[in-house]
Amino acid sequence: MSDAQQKSSPGGDSFDPLDAWRKMRDASLEAWAKGMTEAVKTDAYAKMTGAMLDACLSASAPFREALEKSMAHALQQLSMPTRADIESLADRLTNIEMRLDDLDAKLDVLGPKKVRKGHARS
Amino acid sequence: MPGLEAAAQDFAQAEEKLRRLTKALTTRASIAQTPKQVIWALNKAKLYRYVPMVPEQERRRLPLLLVFALMNRPYILDLRPGHSFVEFMLKQGYDVYLLDWGAPGREDRNLKFDDYTLDYMPRAIRKLKAVSGCEEFSVLGWCIGAILTTIYAALRPDDGLRNLILLTGPLDFSRKDSITFAKWTDERYFDVEQVLAAFGNMPAEMIEYGAKALKPVENYIGNFIRLWDNLDNPAIVDAWHAMHTWVTDNIPMAGAAFRQLIVDLYRNDRLMQGTLMIRGERVDVSRIRANLLTVIAEDDHITPPCQSETINQKVGSRDKELFRIPGGHIGIMAGSGASKRTWPHIDAWLGKRSG
Repeated sequence: MSDAQQKSSPGGDSFDPLDAWRKMRDASLEAWAKGMTEAVKTDAYAKMTGAMLDACLSASAPFREALEKSMAHALQQLSMPTRADIESLADRLTNIEMRLDDLDAKLDVLGPKKVRKGHARS
Repeated sequence: MPGLEAAAQDFAQAEEKLRRLTKALTTRASIAQTPKQVIWALNKAKLYRYVPMVPEQERRRLPLLLVFALMNRPYILDLRPGHSFVEFMLKQGYDVYLLDWGAPGREDRNLKFDDYTLDYMPRAIRKLKAVSGCEEFSVLGWCIGAILTTIYAALRPDDGLRNLILLTGPLDFSRKDSITFAKWTDERYFDVEQVLAAFGNMPAEMIEYGAKALKPVENYIGNFIRLWDNLDNPAIVDAWHAMHTWVTDNIPMAGAAFRQLIVDLYRNDRLMQGTLMIRGERVDVSRIRANLLTVIAEDDHITPPCQSETINQKVGSRDKELFRIPGGHIGIMAGSGASKRTWPHIDAWLGKRSG
């Protein structure tokens, strides 16, 4: 911003057309924002977005299912793991992690005792 | 020549503004910089312990666990140096832990509140106790994190939870007319099963759209105009950049947990009605005995105050406080006034009860 522009900033003496435009812009945005915030709270908006989502998902569902089936079939033919295989593996890993976590917790309990025992011996 | 010098100066300033604008819109801000260590992990979840900032003898006795929502990154609690709740609490002498749920993959679509509250939280707390050497602890739950901590506190009241802070927690869903999300997810308009059949989890993009669409003009237009108007102020641009990084970094929500959120809570208000079942156990909030601080953002459009006001009447805690603060859902903890109002109040309340 140049010196001339700074002098005409809010609080300055001279008139700044940009400042007046900004005020008008902010006022109209505020009014628009209030209107939209109220509009999205209505049942009509909820109904409209619900219908749009339903239409999108219903239209894409057959393609998605066909793609999933053909992909699973292709991966099986290539002896590659499918998404379902990876997901079941992830489940098993989480179960193993939980068992390790339980062991770790037991070690946490045993650890300090062992240290104290060691100190007592020395 | 003065005219040319002024023009060159204007050009340099315009170039600098353009550089700031490009950086703010196209890069990620440096966020979550407070040093921390992973001390526990399970599946995608991680428990961090922040490196203490005060000597051990000056530290508060009780560790503090932070639990954030499932569908946002928790680094909003540690946004940037000098503007970080975590950093503030560390400086006040707290031993601070953060439970980061991580981003669920499709393989996690069956994760429910049951898993989060009865597997993940108790295990993370077990580790927290082992590391801190303290059997008692405090928990701060924010947004969906407040739902999870409330369920945990009700199901495990003898686990050592001494202080519970619920920040803008959507707990009471009885006044549906005042809750915009309740209207959008009404069973007449929103088919939760269709969404989960398509995606497995609730996609991050849909969550982001939902949050922004509550105030569409502010979020899609006003926000960027504010950046444009303040390009000559690096401090404001940095703050905007950090918040924009967080706002656009959403994560999916595990499908089964999302189903519970919509069906059990938004539609049937089961938590407050006392009919919510978690792994066969009824969640009875009157079993909560921990000292309770409920923080309400008066201008919250995501969790309207009516969703958090009633919990204090339902819990069995004798020591409880309802703290109202002007501001929005995120602004009260990450806005410019947070360090002057919300954080000091939480510290003062917790400090008296942290031994």
